[in-house]
Amino acid sequence: MTELDLYREVARIRALELLLNRYISEHGFGGFWHPGLGQEGIQAGAVAALRNDDYLFYAHRGLGYALAKGMSPVTLLADLFGKTGGSVGGKGGGTVHFVDPERGVLGQGGTVGSSFVLGAGAGISAQMLGTDRVVAIFFGDGSSARGTWHEAALTASVWKLPLVWVCENNGWAISVPIGEQSPTENIADRAAAYGVPGVIVDGQDTLAVQAAMTEAVARARAGEGPTLIEAKTLRVRGHFEGDKQSYREDVVDGLDVPRDPLKLLREQVPAEDADRLEVEAKAEAEAALEEVLAMPTGDASVITEGVWV
Amino acid sequence: MSPVTVESGEPLGYARAINAALMEEMRRDEKVWMLGQDVGKMGGVFGVTRGAFDEFGPGRVRDTTLNETFIVGAAVGAALTGTIPVAELQFADFMMIAGDEVFHKMAKWRYMHGGKLSVPMVLRLPTGVIGGVGAEHSQSLEALGMHFPGLKVVLPATPADAKGLLKTAIRDPNPVLYFEHKGMYRMKGPVPDDPDFLVPFGEAAIRREGGQMTVVATGLMVPRALEAAERLAADGIELEVIDPRTLVPLDMETIIASVEKTGRALVVHEAVRTAGPGAEIAARIQEAAFFALDAPVWRLGALDTPIPQSPDLEQLVIPSTDDIEAAARELLAL
Repeated sequence: MTELDLYREVARIRALELLLNRYISEHGFGGFWHPGLGQEGIQAGAVAALRNDDYLFYAHRGLGYALAKGMSPVTLLADLFGKTGGSVGGKGGGTVHFVDPERGVLGQGGTVGSSFVLGAGAGISAQMLGTDRVVAIFFGDGSSARGTWHEAALTASVWKLPLVWVCENNGWAISVPIGEQSPTENIADRAAAYGVPGVIVDGQDTLAVQAAMTEAVARARAGEGPTLIEAKTLRVRGHFEGDKQSYREDVVDGLDVPRDPLKLLREQVPAEDADRLEVEAKAEAEAALEEVLAMPTGDASVITEGVWV
Repeated sequence: MSPVTVESGEPLGYARAINAALMEEMRRDEKVWMLGQDVGKMGGVFGVTRGAFDEFGPGRVRDTTLNETFIVGAAVGAALTGTIPVAELQFADFMMIAGDEVFHKMAKWRYMHGGKLSVPMVLRLPTGVIGGVGAEHSQSLEALGMHFPGLKVVLPATPADAKGLLKTAIRDPNPVLYFEHKGMYRMKGPVPDDPDFLVPFGEAAIRREGGQMTVVATGLMVPRALEAAERLAADGIELEVIDPRTLVPLDMETIIASVEKTGRALVVHEAVRTAGPGAEIAARIQEAAFFALDAPVWRLGALDTPIPQSPDLEQLVIPSTDDIEAAARELLAL
């Protein structure tokens, strides 16, 4: 993906982040919104290296993963607000949950960290069916603590499953800093235990993320097994919007993003194109929100649908 | 009233019948595969998957490490993406190790995705007492499956059903918990060899007809209830023994029709009595057939204790043929 294409994606994700921040501050929100402000470059850069038919298990911080994979912002916001126009019709597994089988968007572990094993299974299907599809599994430094990670990493490495694990290390597992949860400085150091490459990349540098992901995807597609990418980033907002972050001394004031991935990428593209894309992104987000707020929520008839095939 | 279910075919052991179902379904559909600890060259700790590795190879018969979370979770992920896994846990008890994967992912991921995904998989769960394996390897946990909407729950009590229900489970587009009783692995019975022999879900089998009391029994309690019925028949007391075969879906129609005929019901299972499957069945009987009842609906289940390791003691915890006979006589006298 070209710098300009990537800029468009980062700008689109950013526009949704800022719009949601504003909407929630003005109107509140029935649920928990986990903002991904400042982490857009990882989501856009990593997904850019995937094919349309590659599988995606996203994490809970933001909408960028699925937006970059081609899902409509209308669908994503409808899922966020539990509207019938969303992909899961108000039945998802937490905020926010969406699905698009045509684009390989399969879900997130509503119980955080549970997609490690599910993603491994998708890799087994790809391997068995000979499709050369790759599975990208996003997670945070917090969920790297789960036993599911160990069980999946161990066997996926032995079986050379076509996986890429993308860790968005923002330094905080809700209220506990990484230094208090990990005996090693880097999550990527753990890759050595599983005999797979552990790659550290600057998560604010969208192009660097795309480059690392491209290499990992090629390795997975060639049947050489999984790669662990650790993208170093930071958490600009609270764990959820409204989190007062009393446990934290480095709270960022307002919506300023230190080492902003959008600004860093802007240096790589013509200014007039960047301006145009930002205007388009803002308009797209606002139109999507307007459309979604006018949608109905489901009536009781949908509750019992979809339990069984 | 439906006629008594009569099974036909060559005699085969319960474990061999499960094996036959697995082999036939893997031959029929190359998307079917299996995973679990020691299911490959060893053929499983109970020998149930013997021969599969040699015929289908390591790509479709996958030995895992000691990782129940992976076994079930990877099976779910594979089921979401176009293959049909049959996962084996060495003991049904171990599904609690993979609790999130069984009760959340298997059960709910179709629903949570607005019905856009499906989870066509089978989780094989060797269940029940087998003689001396203790409190963490002997439980009957099928009620858990009934408590999580989205799962189907199967408990074969004969070799024919072991085969026919497993084949149906593999062909079902929904996730199925398949509780195979490890104490019955060597039990022999007629098993059809038709590769399309399927036992439908939600159709109870009437194992013995009788007019004086309905006994609803599952798993190992089916042969024990039949033996008790045989003894009572010597005294001219006729029990009707119904084996639901699947708890989800549950064929209450057959049970209610029987209770309306007999006026009495005894529900027997190996699971602990408190909040066991019998609690649900008994409740539904009194809801639907209260005015047909001549006596309260009784439940007979395991004592509310963990299963002791001693093979002698464990048999004292679960209902015996004597217990069923005694309970039936007492209930009849009410």
